[in-house]
Amino acid sequence: MSTVPSGAMGRYRWLWWLAAAATVAATGRSLERVGLPPVSLVETGLLAMTPLALAAVGECLNEKAGLVNIGLEAIFMVAATVGVWCAELGRSGYVGLAGGALTGAVMGLGLGAVSVYGRADQVIAGMGLNVFALGFVPFLLISLWAFPGIHVFPNELMIPRIPTPVGQVSPVTVAAVLAAVLAHLLLHRTVLGFRIRAVGERPEAVDVAGLRVDRLRLLTATLGGTLAGLGGAFLPLGWFGALVKEISAGRGFIALACVVFAGLEPLVALGAALLFGLADGVASAVAVTPGLKERVPFYFVSMIPYVVTLAVVAVVIGGRRFPSTVGRPYARE
Amino acid sequence: MADVVDGGVSAPAPRVQMRGIHKVYPDGTAALRGVDFRLHPGEIVGLLGENGAGKSTLMKILSGLLRPTRGEVLVEGHPARFRNPSDALRCGIGMVHQVFTLVPPFTALQNVLLGQEGAGLLRALPEASARARVQALLDELGLDVPLDVPVESLPVGVQQRVEICKTLYRGTSVLILDEPTSALTPGEADELFRFLRRLRDRGVGVVLITHKLREVLEVTDRVVVLRQGMVVGELSTGSATAENLAELMVGQVTGLRVRRTPRAPGQPVLSVRGLWVRDDQGRLAVRDLSFDVREGEIFGVAGVEGNGQSELVQALTGLRRFEAGEVRLEGQAVPTLEPLALYRRGLAHVPEDKARFGLALGFDLVENSILGRQRENQFLRGLGRLNRPAIVRYARELVERFHVVAPDLATPVRNLSGGNQQRLLVGREVSKQPKLVVAMHPTRGLDVASTVYIRELLVQLRDVGKAVLLVSADLDEVLELSDRVAVMYGGQFLAVGPSDHFRRETVGLLMGGVVPTGDADQPRAPSPR
Amino acid sequence: MRTSRALRPLAESLATVALGLVAGAVLIWAFGHPPGAAYRALVLGAFGTWEDLLETLAFATPLMLTALTFAVGVRGGLFNIGAEGQMYLGAVGATFVAGMVPMPAWVHLAAATLAGMAAGAVWALIPAALKAWRGAHEVISTIMCNWIALHLSMYLAINLLAEPGRAERTVPALPTARYPVLSEDSTLTAVVFVAVGFALLVYAYLWGTRAGYELRLAGENPDAARYAGVRPQRVVVLTFVIGGLAAGLAGASQVIGRPPAWSLYATLGNVTTLGFDGIGVALVGRNHPIGGILGAVLFGALAQGGRLMEYEVGVLSELVRALNGIIVFAMAVPELWSLIRRRFLRP
Repeated sequence: MSTVPSGAMGRYRWLWWLAAAATVAATGRSLERVGLPPVSLVETGLLAMTPLALAAVGECLNEKAGLVNIGLEAIFMVAATVGVWCAELGRSGYVGLAGGALTGAVMGLGLGAVSVYGRADQVIAGMGLNVFALGFVPFLLISLWAFPGIHVFPNELMIPRIPTPVGQVSPVTVAAVLAAVLAHLLLHRTVLGFRIRAVGERPEAVDVAGLRVDRLRLLTATLGGTLAGLGGAFLPLGWFGALVKEISAGRGFIALACVVFAGLEPLVALGAALLFGLADGVASAVAVTPGLKERVPFYFVSMIPYVVTLAVVAVVIGGRRFPSTVGRPYARE
Repeated sequence: MADVVDGGVSAPAPRVQMRGIHKVYPDGTAALRGVDFRLHPGEIVGLLGENGAGKSTLMKILSGLLRPTRGEVLVEGHPARFRNPSDALRCGIGMVHQVFTLVPPFTALQNVLLGQEGAGLLRALPEASARARVQALLDELGLDVPLDVPVESLPVGVQQRVEICKTLYRGTSVLILDEPTSALTPGEADELFRFLRRLRDRGVGVVLITHKLREVLEVTDRVVVLRQGMVVGELSTGSATAENLAELMVGQVTGLRVRRTPRAPGQPVLSVRGLWVRDDQGRLAVRDLSFDVREGEIFGVAGVEGNGQSELVQALTGLRRFEAGEVRLEGQAVPTLEPLALYRRGLAHVPEDKARFGLALGFDLVENSILGRQRENQFLRGLGRLNRPAIVRYARELVERFHVVAPDLATPVRNLSGGNQQRLLVGREVSKQPKLVVAMHPTRGLDVASTVYIRELLVQLRDVGKAVLLVSADLDEVLELSDRVAVMYGGQFLAVGPSDHFRRETVGLLMGGVVPTGDADQPRAPSPR
Repeated sequence: MRTSRALRPLAESLATVALGLVAGAVLIWAFGHPPGAAYRALVLGAFGTWEDLLETLAFATPLMLTALTFAVGVRGGLFNIGAEGQMYLGAVGATFVAGMVPMPAWVHLAAATLAGMAAGAVWALIPAALKAWRGAHEVISTIMCNWIALHLSMYLAINLLAEPGRAERTVPALPTARYPVLSEDSTLTAVVFVAVGFALLVYAYLWGTRAGYELRLAGENPDAARYAGVRPQRVVVLTFVIGGLAAGLAGASQVIGRPPAWSLYATLGNVTTLGFDGIGVALVGRNHPIGGILGAVLFGALAQGGRLMEYEVGVLSELVRALNGIIVFAMAVPELWSLIRRRFLRP
């Protein structure tokens, strides 16, 4: 009954990394041939990777502790909206990022609390958050800016990007990579991580050892929410430059796919996020490249990230489900 | 009812004492109704009772896992209020649960350290420095545990030692063990008892929760008997006998033994040749098994759980694919084992875990009564519709014939007691008019009345000529009911023979994988292949 | 005993809805509107007049069907949140037959309805196949299919089903393929009878047939289903197909059963989010087809009443969907009820 989520790729991890790198390189070359600049592709890919990676890394921690958050999509949407609002209030994109992270923290904590204390069905509760966001975000858009569907904010609120050899990179992207590394170290190198892994595998053991199951799980739920909230605020403030009501567009679920793919390992989840981010990058690049955008209907280009995710879920992940302990409430009685 | 011992004034203050403990679960079940309990240093107290008598609940309260609805706990004479297990641990009270609370992929050392890491939350786990301390404790206790292997790969007996070590590492001087021998071989159980006596001699107070009279008489100093949430007797072990303990435990002297008259078996109904089966991890769990189960005989398979019994039964009942081998029913080969096809050919299956395999707990009695029989014409009408009146009639018949106690037929079976659930299930399977009955742990967790009822039913089936394959971890059950017995170990039968050729001790050794030599009663050992 | 067993879920559902309304009142208040006046408008808007009531039923029609998709999924042990996408394609399928394939009157109506249902079912086969043969997790696969369906349907609406000169919508359904309007003062059409009939049919199928029994058994206890000889793959496919039929019908109902558009908007604006709304409806209806009908009327009332609430009090009707989410969220917490029972219902 113990599911040891042995990284997506087990012993041949390096082989998979190699294959992924080769695929990326090959895709880059072939895209270059049809007139797509690889630099912009990598740039967009890294931008698209950032929210996925942040949410996926947080969700890895959350699921390691035995909770599951299907509401990442909702956190993205609400945090993006609140983030822009905070940015405008504080006249700084960074204030917006903080506001988004805080929003995510509150939502993650709320979901964690009903899961831990209310023994909620976490999948349904998470879905409830998603449906809530579907109504609440358009409501907020009209209430705050009196504009249905879209809000363009001043350009100076955008988080400036740093020029690097691989193009313009957002500091949030760096933070996402850092988050993955830190989450890995936390899980595998610290006492806290030791306890988090224990509570996910066998909450009873943690309980009889005199540790608090509820606190550990609330901690990871909040951490996961914070990272997802940061990712959500990044969408408008670090990437799109505008707020639309369906800004997340399924990315919360793609982040979940990253988590399943990664077998709950943050570093692998980062890799998965890069893969899906590049798919998104390809889509964005195709949509703006002259000579190509006329030939491929926009609607089909828009499908690319979802088709890629579906294919990966079907082919690579296959039978792997969320680990059996994940999502089950812990109760003594 | 029974004489209360050492209640004199001269007795020292108890190490722990519980007074007037009541426990009502959120669903309204009253598990404990005013229980008093005390434990002195350096004694082993047996807490005896049937399933559901409240033994585990009482001790979960003492170990801080549950909170009493009413009543108080005193430690060294002072009232104590435990909000969680760490409060109890701080008072030196630790419990080893029936279902181990080990983190399966963690090593023994890591399991012992959990919660006692002795370093800041963001520091590294100090395994190296802790190892010496844990090893010293193990040496002092005389326990042998490999510290660096994931506990999931250790045998159950060793896992138990990890559990005990985990508790004692926290400085426990009150050790509670919940049904500690249920997964042990008799040899391992003896070893555990020797260890408990050593602990007692060092001044540790031990509580042994059990329903086995033999263990109480063998190892305890004092016995407390619980029935339906109340203490019905407390006596020193010296003055107890198996008979009076049994009477206290179940309320009346019942004929626990099932009468079985000799009967000549007939033709083989189930023939298994060279069967190999893999478990969920892909390991070979059943290795080259061959045996027959004949008309009018109960063929019992004894053994410690996890030696391939589950995989064997699942393969024979179509729930698991087998690697190689041949299975014949009444002489005819069964090429692919598939549940419905097997049922049509006369298989009835009482699965090992009724709540997992045999019943849908959210369904009512009516719908559960046709589980597995839903494709039989007698329960169907045209267009694949269910013949509801016929099904209700049949369900009512089952309830009456097999004495299932339920408020009405529309009750979800979740709300029935374990005994009534099992009666419904066994009744359903038996009423199929089977030729072969495969039953695994058929009386596990049941009350005494249901246990006796189901054992008698199995013997009746045998008497009317059915073939019965009985697989059970309860050695006494196997020896009592079976005409022939096999002892399973490591996926093989270490011995097969008529049940009256086996001595309990011999079977005990075989269950631990030890083939006794030079024994006159030695049954046929497997021939080397 | 028996009545209390039946009434308790009903009471819990109503209490959850009440809780959602309370949370909504807090939101309304927080954004500076009077909750009392808002809710009075909501109720009046939904039930105030005969026409309002009919309009409430018109809003309820697609919801009882998308709720059915989710409910059948749960009964079969799946978390099928793909009604949204299946519904888009159902609308596209119905629009194609209704608007571009002329046929005799009643045949045309039936054909357009069936085309919508079939399109929904075919789209549901993708996550079904991935689940049955690859074990892909249905939460992720159905959501991905929803997004793919969104873009595919918009493409088809603009290219295949376009009416020259009308960029904002597709060709309208021909008069032969329109459900009769029941009252000139509302948008309720006879399609409501088809929806209720389909829900009842699914109910009879799930509880009255051998295949329905096996489907529910697989959802209740997959191991017991294997013990009873049920093939899990078949249940997965069956569950998704029934759900797809329902969602497809929901999509069709908004094109051939809902004036004044009688067509699909190019943005899919007249069908979007109906699939997700069905989740809340199903949960309030306790994942039961009949409960789903009742739940749909309730949520239909919120949708219809929300319009008057927006017009009179200025509370945006989008808030109604947020309420829906709060209700789903609260439905997930069983402990809430034992807590309330312990605290308030016992002395």
